[in-house]
Amino acid sequence: MTNEIDRRAFIRVAASTTGALAVGVLTTRDVARAARRAAPPSVLSAFVEVGEDGTVRIIAKNPEIGSGVKTSLPILIAEELDVDWSAVRVVQADYAQKYGDQFTGGSTAIWEHWTPLRQAGAAARTLLITAAAARWNVNADTCSTERGAVFHTSSGRRLPYGDLAADAAKLPAPTTVRLKDASQFRVIGTRVPVVDASEIVTGRARYGLDASLPGMLIACVARGPFGAKVVSFDAAPALAISGVERVIKIDAGRDALGRVEGVAVLARSTWAAMQGRRRLRVTWSDAPDDASSVNLERQFRAALASPGTVVHRDGDVASALASSARTIDAVYEVPFLAHVPMEPVHYLADVRADRAEMWGSTQAPGSVAQHVAALTGLKPEAITVHLNRSGGGFGRRLMADYAAEAAFLSKEAQRPVKVVWTREDDVQHDYYRPAGHHRLRAGLSATGTVTAWSHHLANTSRYAFAKNGRPPEQSEMYAEDFPVGCVPSTLVEYTLVPSAVPAGAWRSTLHSSNAFAVQSFIDELAHAAGRDPAAFRLELLGPPRELKYTGHGGPVLDTGRFAAVIKKVVEQSGWPHAPTAGRAWGIAAHFTFGSYAAEAVEVSVQNGVIRVHRVLAAIDCGTVVNLSGAEAQVQGGIIDGLSAALFGEVTVDKGIVSQSNFSDYRLLRIDEVPRIDVHFIPSAVAPKGLGEPPVPPVAPAVANAIFAATGRRIRRLPLQKNFAASVAG
Amino acid sequence: MRFDINVNGRRQSVDVAPETPLLWVLRDDLQLTGTKFGCGVAQCGACTVHVNGKPTRACTTPISSVGSAAITTIEGLSPDGTHPLQRAWIAEDVPQCGYCQSGQIMSAAALLANTPSPSDAQIDTAMRGNICRCGTYVRIRAAIHRAAEAGR
Repeated sequence: MTNEIDRRAFIRVAASTTGALAVGVLTTRDVARAARRAAPPSVLSAFVEVGEDGTVRIIAKNPEIGSGVKTSLPILIAEELDVDWSAVRVVQADYAQKYGDQFTGGSTAIWEHWTPLRQAGAAARTLLITAAAARWNVNADTCSTERGAVFHTSSGRRLPYGDLAADAAKLPAPTTVRLKDASQFRVIGTRVPVVDASEIVTGRARYGLDASLPGMLIACVARGPFGAKVVSFDAAPALAISGVERVIKIDAGRDALGRVEGVAVLARSTWAAMQGRRRLRVTWSDAPDDASSVNLERQFRAALASPGTVVHRDGDVASALASSARTIDAVYEVPFLAHVPMEPVHYLADVRADRAEMWGSTQAPGSVAQHVAALTGLKPEAITVHLNRSGGGFGRRLMADYAAEAAFLSKEAQRPVKVVWTREDDVQHDYYRPAGHHRLRAGLSATGTVTAWSHHLANTSRYAFAKNGRPPEQSEMYAEDFPVGCVPSTLVEYTLVPSAVPAGAWRSTLHSSNAFAVQSFIDELAHAAGRDPAAFRLELLGPPRELKYTGHGGPVLDTGRFAAVIKKVVEQSGWPHAPTAGRAWGIAAHFTFGSYAAEAVEVSVQNGVIRVHRVLAAIDCGTVVNLSGAEAQVQGGIIDGLSAALFGEVTVDKGIVSQSNFSDYRLLRIDEVPRIDVHFIPSAVAPKGLGEPPVPPVAPAVANAIFAATGRRIRRLPLQKNFAASVAG
Repeated sequence: MRFDINVNGRRQSVDVAPETPLLWVLRDDLQLTGTKFGCGVAQCGACTVHVNGKPTRACTTPISSVGSAAITTIEGLSPDGTHPLQRAWIAEDVPQCGYCQSGQIMSAAALLANTPSPSDAQIDTAMRGNICRCGTYVRIRAAIHRAAEAGR
């Protein structure tokens, strides 16, 4: 099978300054962006360079936050270039327009780069073959490549890429490139370790918080209750601390840059900045009523009593419910969640009159640059955003509020300034996964099939908080999520409850909380119908077919692929299991970001303590690029999901978050981690998302197992606390 | 105030307030940034170093309490990055973001120094103070077993 695609418009070839062959491409996102602006794409960068000494340098274009893109994106190029992975040097790109869009989020990296980056590698390989064929005066079709060299099979001649790089760089861009058939892959699908592994294990890897500049000041910012303003402050006690140099008010309200009103203490050392901030005396105005969890919960309940905005409708749910043999009705409740990336957010800014340089950990360097431009009035080309490894992201680093703080303070202080957030700052001034209540209603026929499905969510919307002009439901309720399309009458509704509590994207966005409600409720229906929960789901999915899915990860949801992951965990876990006292299995499955994930978990409950013993996951994300990295994403996603399901909760009282650090915002520790088995469904189709899809099934699978083990249906997250409450109640 | 401390076998002189945590002395004054800041309250283990061989949270260790004790950071764990745990961490492909791994390795190194062949329960006890937000725990456990195996 050949894969020939005309990429003339999107492939560029050049000789680099060192005489190396350099090949660049545009990604689909870049092309789409250029089309939106009705302007030609900007100058193309080189993503791959073959040096005359045979070195292969591959640019890692996107920020690395732990999702493995610094390894997996270069693999795509190396595969088609046909070089040994061990010969490749991966270089992290800084943020620059020439690289096109550089963004890590939405589980998009592999799926958006799958074709263009392989084409970059294939284009370079094509040029090297052309150069060799010319040198030998033979037809290029009679040449092949392997491990960094071109071969002329019949004559047994061989030329290493390095000897051909200079010639190849003078050739025009190829009009077509031929991509490998999957059977020819040598790197894709194997286990490739993280490229920075040896730097990480020796402490040499540089993270944003490690950056420093001569003369730099460290800033810690006192931030007030959500929605509150500074009434007055006394800087004197802070300035009395040795090392503290300045106190600067950030007079922001919550501006378009997402900065919070605050008072910054700038010092010569991190410790002095922390101590100075502790001494600062700030009086804040009162927070609004919609910045208290108790008030919000009351509003969620009230909102669900009236119809909401219709997000999706099939048939007539009201009459289908009325005519069903049985109706089931339940409310599910989810809290705010914090991201708590291991490396607290921070940024180092050096803002001068004519330029600005930024160092820090981010998922969205373009957003950092925009914030700096807005604050300084500098042109984009005068702003440099350096990229480094980030200590986690999980969606928190899609925001650039902390980078804006740093840029503002550097401009004011006329010095390089590194803003450092403590863990308390991080937990208490995050952009949280929105809290909300879900009301679910379903009708069952006399034979136990689902005839009507109604899902109404009331929550604080991310889009509403961002005031981005988009409908608030779009970031919260996804119109065609399962079981829409599988039930004759469906109604999906949404009601906004506005809040001053910041809302952001948390790994898998609202899928993690929506799947908790949907997949728990489906379990309720299965039990109500007296059916096995796995078999009930398969029946609900129906025959293999493609359903329209216009959301992120579409355009289709394939019920056959969805069923296959459920069947896989059923088969691998030895389903169905006879529950023993206090110990049982639960199952859940979800489609997100183009990928299908099913998880079966074994849970025991003893003396009110929930313990997860095993998690068995089956994932269909299409082709797996790096098996080791992919498995790691699933293991990590499951553990992330378990932390959130069992413990994750942020509560707010008068604009102040009640939790502050890992002591009261619990994450799973090593002794609480279950055995995890990961199965990828073999696939030859193009890859889709993987960083986020493993998360959503976790909470409902655990809740369903708790029900099977104890007969208690926990409809409110987090599960550990609310299980204990249900026993006590 | 001036303190003479012993870090990775070298005598270092720093001038800081006596209550300054060792973490910030290492990071700000000595540019040993392999030791990480995660929580500031000894809850996450990202700042773990060895003080006279004992795993210690640098974020809650005032510099004034250190004296002339031998401090080892991740940079000083082995001269060339070939400690059995460092090799095992690469072989098991443990890191995701990698940020907590210095602390994880330092805790694990202290464990193996006293317990060359730890059981899972011993690993749990020694490592439960180290949080990994990416969830690399499954591979951390495998890497500790691998390093123990290599040391046998």
